[in-house]
Amino acid sequence: MAAVSRPISLAPLLTAVLLLAGCWTAPVATVQPNGEARLIQGAIAVQSVKEAAIVSAVDRNAGTIVLRTSGKAETSNYKLGPKVSNLDDIKVGEVVQATVTEELTVYVLRDGQLPGAGALAVHARVLAVDPSYRLLKLQFPNGENETVKVPLGTRLEHMEAGDSVVIRPVEVIALRRKG
Amino acid sequence: MRLSRLRAASGWPHAAGVGAAILVGLLPTGAECQITPEQASQLRNAIGDRVEALTILGGDYGIAGASFRSTGKFAFGESTDATVAVTKLGGAGDIGDPQPLGGLPVGWQPRVQGNMGWLDGTQHLHSGLVEGDITEIKTYGIEFGGGVRFWVNDRLSFAPTLMGLYGHTSQTYTANSAFMRANLEAARQMGLVDWTVDTWTLITGIDFQYLINLNRTIITLSSTPVYYRTETFQSSTAQLNVQGDSSTWANMIDVDIPLGVEMFGHELRSGGYYRWIGFYGDLRDGLHDSNLNEIHGRVVLDFLNQLWKVQWIGIGASYLWGPNITGWSAGLDVVFRF
Repeated sequence: MAAVSRPISLAPLLTAVLLLAGCWTAPVATVQPNGEARLIQGAIAVQSVKEAAIVSAVDRNAGTIVLRTSGKAETSNYKLGPKVSNLDDIKVGEVVQATVTEELTVYVLRDGQLPGAGALAVHARVLAVDPSYRLLKLQFPNGENETVKVPLGTRLEHMEAGDSVVIRPVEVIALRRKG
Repeated sequence: MRLSRLRAASGWPHAAGVGAAILVGLLPTGAECQITPEQASQLRNAIGDRVEALTILGGDYGIAGASFRSTGKFAFGESTDATVAVTKLGGAGDIGDPQPLGGLPVGWQPRVQGNMGWLDGTQHLHSGLVEGDITEIKTYGIEFGGGVRFWVNDRLSFAPTLMGLYGHTSQTYTANSAFMRANLEAARQMGLVDWTVDTWTLITGIDFQYLINLNRTIITLSSTPVYYRTETFQSSTAQLNVQGDSSTWANMIDVDIPLGVEMFGHELRSGGYYRWIGFYGDLRDGLHDSNLNEIHGRVVLDFLNQLWKVQWIGIGASYLWGPNITGWSAGLDVVFRF
């Protein structure tokens, strides 16, 4: 069991590393994306789990619920899905875990403006895009991040960090009391 | 982070008959003869190489388990007739997203690696003196460690790692032949049969990785040299002392292809990899093979961001070949990303 030399020299590999070295930069959502201001795609249906949403209002007759979710300044009004069955347990002011569906609209804006539509109320910016696994990482104004899976056919190849995202609440499909 | 690929397979007859197969080759031809001290020392060295090789084979996450058939021979000329079951649960992966490293243009993320493995081999001996004898070897290994992956840019990264591997190997010999019934106790006292040994292995390596994105397809090129230092810390016989140095060098190309078709609400993905692993040092001596090629195919469902930390669940199969061996493995393919 004699000692052996290393199978390969690391020098060529380290040299290759240095030769190929570029700059790694952390993703930033506040950059200005390329191209003219435009709509990239709307009505992108996504599912999201809001881990600590506060119930602001519940209207059982109208089948709606108002939640204040982390990262958003204003409340969001959702329809109650047919599978939400534990409404009697949910009280205003309670913290819940809500599984919701939302629709995203992604824009390139210039100074927050979209030609013809004026200033938009942007809810988040794109931080990173993973086209292979259809992931869109969003950053909210308070710095929190959320990753959502977008449907097949979403034009992720046209999206990049800095794009603006408007989120439309659609429906709560599951509710669970926290704590 | 990929952390768990679950596979169960049998393999590596070469390593199975440790001691016993060598014993067949070295034993004197006449039943009246004795094993000389030189022969016993040579046997113990060979056993040490095999113990180290089996510990790495059974306990290290970097070498796949598979069902192997050997066409080669041991150094002493005896042919093989053995089966080995190697089962492993383990993997390696990078945790979270890369973070800035101070003010440097380099990202970093923690990396963890681990494995639990067990190996159970049986060899039936078919040689004049020991015809009908059976030797069985078992190895258990637990490995854990980690390191840091440094991102030079969005595509190129390298991850130096350090791991520890505990191994427990035992061998039992069933003497059915007249010769071994007469000489079993002597062979035991020489530390050639019916032994157990506990070892620790220090493992250092560095994983270089380069990512290529072609539309939605991800191609990953990687090169991973690894060094193993193995020592005995407990043995049933003072004469059996494992001290060894081994290395491997794995080079792999992996292709991960989304198919654009959904099943049960999850996108189908296909892909696979080709991997070449070179064996060096005692690992090469212990396994009597210089390298192992593996080609792997898989069909999986994408669960990323849909089910806890699961990246995909599916099935995969490999075909493996080396200078003296061929083999295959098949099983569940589960990958996590943390």
